[in-house]
Amino acid sequence: MAERVVLCIGTKKGLFVAEAAKSRRRFELRGPFGPGVAVYSSLIDTRGTPRIFASSCHTFFGMKIMVSTDLGKKFKETKSAPAFPKADGRAVENIWSIEPGKNKRELLCGVEPASLFRSGDGGNSWELVPGISNHEHSKHWQPGNGGLCMHTIVRDGNRVHLGISTGGHYLSEDGGETFNASNNGVGAGFFPDPNPEFGQCVHKIASHPDVPGRLYMQNHGGWPDHPGIGVLRSDDHGHTWHSIADGLPSDFGFPIVVHPHDPDTIYVVPLDPSTRTCPDSKPAVWRSQNGGGKWKRLAKGFPKKDSYFTVLRDAMTIDPLKSPSLYFGTTTGRLWIGRDGGEEWTCLFDSLPPINCVKVAVV
Amino acid sequence: MKIHIPAMLRHESSGASDLSVSATTIRGALEQLESSHPSLYRSVCNETGAVRRHMHLFINSDLVMDDGLDTKLRPNDELFIMPAVSGG
Repeated sequence: MAERVVLCIGTKKGLFVAEAAKSRRRFELRGPFGPGVAVYSSLIDTRGTPRIFASSCHTFFGMKIMVSTDLGKKFKETKSAPAFPKADGRAVENIWSIEPGKNKRELLCGVEPASLFRSGDGGNSWELVPGISNHEHSKHWQPGNGGLCMHTIVRDGNRVHLGISTGGHYLSEDGGETFNASNNGVGAGFFPDPNPEFGQCVHKIASHPDVPGRLYMQNHGGWPDHPGIGVLRSDDHGHTWHSIADGLPSDFGFPIVVHPHDPDTIYVVPLDPSTRTCPDSKPAVWRSQNGGGKWKRLAKGFPKKDSYFTVLRDAMTIDPLKSPSLYFGTTTGRLWIGRDGGEEWTCLFDSLPPINCVKVAVV
Repeated sequence: MKIHIPAMLRHESSGASDLSVSATTIRGALEQLESSHPSLYRSVCNETGAVRRHMHLFINSDLVMDDGLDTKLRPNDELFIMPAVSGG
């Protein structure tokens, strides 16, 4: 069967799946799955037979993990969802990230309140990862506007990077057994000390497998007294970070994405820090092709004015094709495709529910 | 006693609109539910055992408050599980 491009679009009202040929000319939409229930994270797991996982975060009835083995034509619930041991006293309020683990059956899941769970059987059972979930810092972490969430999990061999809002960046170098706060250079404009050991409001962390020591971070920027702390880069596996925000119209934003074939090419969506919408109401994605040294505005195809949407932390992604397309979803329910690495933008769907997350794979 | 299951949770009770349990307190009734229908229980209570924030329990027509789970039940009492009303 010819390869297909599959998009998973997590929304306030359930999960949608869109599918296209590799030309990406026309996407067919299906869903919503888990109708009426917010989806904050999904994973298209291409290790072996493709599986799609999605969180289903019901305000009333609690957390579920949905799984599909037929590319999102139908979903069923896994046998269980992440849950704290009864004696722990915490309850899972939301599921913010689902990522592949070190082998085909292993999954990692970041939740609110900020904690990490591991499944060794494809999501049917889950265990708490104590090295971070019971970290001595955890009782000092505070919720941001989205809650106290563990939203980013980046694996690199025995290293595991975690992004917590607000907790900061935590790094394990022993396969996830123990974690240390690793925020040297990651600022926090909402503390008296703007360079704390931990407690930063990290928004997203991205990496590229060809250069594992390099990481990019969208941190909570937009602080007049602390310019440039919003967009950061590390070249030493996340031990130290430095600003690459110079040239952007704002260092506030949520997602950060790396080009699949060029670790020097990165994308961000700068937002006005007060409204958290498009600066001057003019949407644009910004691209750097030299690791954050210079930035270029990409806006061909977007409205030229009167746009007031937000792109959330997991709502932008890029496919792995030779000439990759970017995709992002907005809080106003529009799903955009940026063909040729973001050179030209087209709205694929204009009336979806508010979009929380977008994932893509070629299967 | 009888536990009434709301329509939107009956997929967790094999379609049954009510279940019979033998319990002398609301907490005891929930514990039996956890044992007999763990998935249904998990939709009503979180992993700490607390009734979920947007779920309401009624004994007959009386709302059970958070500190009322140990209220003694009478033989003909009926427990209603009701999702709270919401919009948006």
